Amino acid sequence: MREPEAMVFVVDDDEYVRESLVSLIRSIGLGVSTFASAKEFLESSRTNVPSCLVLDVKLPGLSGLELQQRLAEINVEIPIVFISGHGDIPMSVRAMKAGAVEFLTKPFSDQDLLDAISLALERDRVARVQQAAVSDLLRRYETLTPREREVMHLVVSGLLNKQVAARLRTSEITVKVHRGQVMQKMHAGSLADLVRMSERLGALLTDKA
Amino acid sequence: MLGLLALAFVTFVCFRFQVNSTTVALLYLIVIGLVSLQGNFVPSAIVSLIAYISLDFFFTTPLFTVAMNQALDFVAPITYVTTAFVITRLISNVRKSNEERRRTEETLRKSQAELAHVTRVMTMGEMAASIAHEINQPLAAVVNNAGACVRWLNADSPNLNEAREAAQRIIRDGNRASEVIKRIRAFLRKSDTEKIELDLNKTIQEIVSLMQKEAQSHNVTLRTDFDVDLPVVRGDRVQLQQVILNLVMNGIEAMTTVTNRPRELLIGARASETDKVLVYVRDVGIGIGHQNGDSIFDPFFTTKPNGMGMGLAISRSIVEDHGGQLWAEPNKEFGTTFQFTILKY
Repeated sequence: MREPEAMVFVVDDDEYVRESLVSLIRSIGLGVSTFASAKEFLESSRTNVPSCLVLDVKLPGLSGLELQQRLAEINVEIPIVFISGHGDIPMSVRAMKAGAVEFLTKPFSDQDLLDAISLALERDRVARVQQAAVSDLLRRYETLTPREREVMHLVVSGLLNKQVAARLRTSEITVKVHRGQVMQKMHAGSLADLVRMSERLGALLTDKA
Repeated sequence: MLGLLALAFVTFVCFRFQVNSTTVALLYLIVIGLVSLQGNFVPSAIVSLIAYISLDFFFTTPLFTVAMNQALDFVAPITYVTTAFVITRLISNVRKSNEERRRTEETLRKSQAELAHVTRVMTMGEMAASIAHEINQPLAAVVNNAGACVRWLNADSPNLNEAREAAQRIIRDGNRASEVIKRIRAFLRKSDTEKIELDLNKTIQEIVSLMQKEAQSHNVTLRTDFDVDLPVVRGDRVQLQQVILNLVMNGIEAMTTVTNRPRELLIGARASETDKVLVYVRDVGIGIGHQNGDSIFDPFFTTKPNGMGMGLAISRSIVEDHGGQLWAEPNKEFGTTFQFTILKY
């Protein structure tokens, strides 16, 4: 069997519901993997393809909502579609506030679930692309020498080469060379590009700090 | 009729052996007394009358005539009739009071059954959410499977195998939902007690399966431990299920504040003594306070804010009606064990 292009993980304690969801999800050509409890899911290893989680709210042990919280704590970003036997409003509000894609009450229509799954997978795909771009940017930034980083910060803050040179007590020609290196290493086509990259990096770096 | 035959027999024998009239009169009195034990005054009166006539006719002088010419001729009829009257009255009184007692017992039994039924309905009401879930779950599976089935069939190259399997799961899950409903209806049915041969294991499993979700929603794990060769017992299925239900609900309730140990409820059954089976429900809850003791079995005794206090009282009367006993014992470490005995079939 070919590697499915997307994976759906189902966590529900009812065996029959799991079986039915497997068949339904497979019928539209998606990969699916099921778990009877939150613990099982946390212990599993996941392949690196766009994926989403179909999660029952009421589970023995760790509940669905607690699992959502736990995943956020350990920085696992996976879009979640909640399914629940009895949707109560506070529960769904809590789930949606914490970033769930959808909150469906059993029995839900197959179309609703599949729509929610598509939406969730699309979100994950976009997030993955963004994530890839970000890590690429970070990787490139990490190849810069400390001096090159200094030059980059001063350049994007709007200083001219001459001013940068004065600030760093070096020659204008050296700054020019550093600047050329920065543009090349960061794959920036123009100063505007570099400014945008620096902004995103700035956000990331302050996040990390 | 029998009285008349007895009378004829006495008359014949006494006449043959020339027994004196006083003895005959007494013998007749015995016959009348016996006839009167039937409790009907009219036949007794007839027998008395005939007895008097034959006494007068055959035994008192002048023989073969009916005439009042001796003291006995006067005393006998009065005695006979009075005796017949007093005895029949007494007997009919006794009968009436017996009848009344029977009726009272019947009413009592009926209202007990009524009460048991009401509390069954109430307990089921408390469990409504989890029961709804129990039915909803297979329904959700049915809807999913049906969706999957249609999709497998609608694919560019329909996958009949997958579709067939989905359809088969629809059948199975539909049956599962109706099974739950059937069990609830059986449990809520209003019926007279019917003590039959019961497989205790199956009886208990049925009710426990209804309570799984309820337990789960309180984070309680239900475990069962039955002897493999559990003897069959004699009892009313629904009533015994009610006892189990009450004990399990209490057990779950007793553990709601427990956080430092796994909330586990064990339901077990094993043979006990020679003619009994012991059923126990063991929780690891907060236990029964000393001050409460045996009064937990009193009607209207409750520690729950919304409790009616009938659960244990009804359970005890059901168990006693089955020739058994219900009692509670504190566990060595935590919680309480409720146990009851029930007679083997």
